Amino acid sequence: MAHRDWLGLKMELPRKRRLLLTLLSFLAPVVLWSAVSYVPWLWHPLVRITAQGDVDYFAEDMDVPRADFDRELAKTRAAGTTPPEGHRVNPLYLPAPHEVARAFYTAFTTEPRLPNEPWLHESLGHSIRTIFWGFVLSSLVGVPLGILCGSYRFFSRLQEPFIEFFRYLPAPAFGALCVAILGIDDGPKIAIIFIGTFFQQVLVIGNTVRKVDPALIEAAQTLGASRWRLVRRVIIPASITDIYTDMRILLGWAWTYLIVAEVVGTMSGITYFINQQARYRNFDNVYAAIMMIGIIGFSTDLILAWLGTVLFPWKRKTRTASGRPSLWSRLRPKPIPA
Amino acid sequence: MNLAIPDYRQLSPAVAARFERIRQRPVILSIQDLEKKFGTDGATHTAFDNVSLDIHRREFICVIGPSGCGKSTLIRIVAGLDEATGGAVLLDGHAVTGPGPDRGMVFQGYTLFPWLTVRANVMFGLEMRGKDTTTAESEAREWLDMVGLGKFEHAYPHELSGGMKQRVAIARALANEPRILIMDEPFAALDAQTRCQMQSYLLQIWKKVDVTILFITHDLEEAAYLADRIVVMGANPGRVVEFIENPVPRPRSAAQFLTAEYLSLKARLEELIHPPTETGEEDRLPMVKLTNVGDDVE
Repeated sequence: MAHRDWLGLKMELPRKRRLLLTLLSFLAPVVLWSAVSYVPWLWHPLVRITAQGDVDYFAEDMDVPRADFDRELAKTRAAGTTPPEGHRVNPLYLPAPHEVARAFYTAFTTEPRLPNEPWLHESLGHSIRTIFWGFVLSSLVGVPLGILCGSYRFFSRLQEPFIEFFRYLPAPAFGALCVAILGIDDGPKIAIIFIGTFFQQVLVIGNTVRKVDPALIEAAQTLGASRWRLVRRVIIPASITDIYTDMRILLGWAWTYLIVAEVVGTMSGITYFINQQARYRNFDNVYAAIMMIGIIGFSTDLILAWLGTVLFPWKRKTRTASGRPSLWSRLRPKPIPA
Repeated sequence: MNLAIPDYRQLSPAVAARFERIRQRPVILSIQDLEKKFGTDGATHTAFDNVSLDIHRREFICVIGPSGCGKSTLIRIVAGLDEATGGAVLLDGHAVTGPGPDRGMVFQGYTLFPWLTVRANVMFGLEMRGKDTTTAESEAREWLDMVGLGKFEHAYPHELSGGMKQRVAIARALANEPRILIMDEPFAALDAQTRCQMQSYLLQIWKKVDVTILFITHDLEEAAYLADRIVVMGANPGRVVEFIENPVPRPRSAAQFLTAEYLSLKARLEELIHPPTETGEEDRLPMVKLTNVGDDVE
């Protein structure tokens, strides 16, 4: 049945169709973008002047709205003077796909304009370093605290109400404070990512740990486990795969704080690169840099997903309750046969 | 209709002699006047009260009763996972205060640790008791061989069928050499065929291992097939209705299902658990008649 029907309600599609649709999900926006870029009559609201003609305020390589161009064209024709020439273009902020594709390469090879400016790979490296330290520092405190909160009501009552409150304070609001305390370099940026990640992390992991099947804990108790060993040998391993998934999601959130963090103090990293390129009106580089963030984030997640199957062999056959593979397991590579 | 178990002392002197011998054995577990109430001051609900029971060494006890009679709460208290509001549970004469490895437990749901291989699951209790890895490994392997799953020692629980999981759970509980094995409807989630098989496995294991079993079930036939003594509980409030010494001789087999002992036992259990209503009628749904379609059907 499922093989014949593309739109079977909640029915899994055959592998080939799944792949095809995945491809389409990326292809569709690219096709739309290509159409707008390459098909002249679809949008192209501007005209790029190639010959000034007898219009004084036109200059070569100038982009003017089509209406203005048409008006001047009519005027010159009526007056019998030399008409201006030009072709229709999109605004500068919408470069064509091939320009952005080229920028993926040229952005790396173009020397920075100013002597002290970082290269693109240095900017990216800086951003990744900022994320890394913010996330690692947050996890070093947040994960153990989350596990304690999930395991013991004592810590849960002691910590969570305040964290619950603090989590509503937007991390960027601490920007000025962080700069005052930690200076203008990387310190405040890492602090912003820490603040943005930490409070969510404790609550999310605390919740995950609380969801451990109590029957597993009771079974361990009847086998002689108690107190700390119960946490170490049962609660942590029982929740570790879910904690791992939480961490992947939290890492994604950390990326969203990156741009805000990099504006704090001296602008740095990929945000600085994007800003400079926009200032130079190199929008192809801007798009390439934004996409690079997406690519780095997404591929990190895929690598972590694959690493998960290596680390947690008992989860290799993960299926959701409905018998459908979970979202993450579908992104994972095939399990390695034992 | 007055159903009674025929006096097996005459039917089968061998069975009578067996119960006489069981009574001579030392008491392993003693439940004394146990009572459990839920709720605070004003509105208390009694789960059960006045439950007393002595379980002798190597005895197989089944507790049976309708849902709501408190049988699960009872054994959770014996296991130390719940606290009684009155009375005491004594194991070898010492009061039970919390869960411990001297009372092995097999749960109705699957409680194998999914992150451990089958062997590591069985090793868990051994390691908790401080055995070194090599000893624990070889002992775990022996227990797995005993439940017939030696070949699966490196498998993960999710690769096993429901019946196999419960056999590993039994091996895991027995590996701790508990004084008593507590089983809370361990086969209720299995299909009928696997359940029969598991019951037979359990009897074989019980024969080989020096262990006393306290088994909860709501299945009359399961109780009749497995138990030495059957504790029949009633609901509202939970209480012991009757102790029955199972007249069906051992070794048990499917061939006994039509014997007089088996049938009369089953009839008595039916009577205790599904007592006829006062009018003599079975419980009927107050049904509104909608059509005449079913009129010619009896």
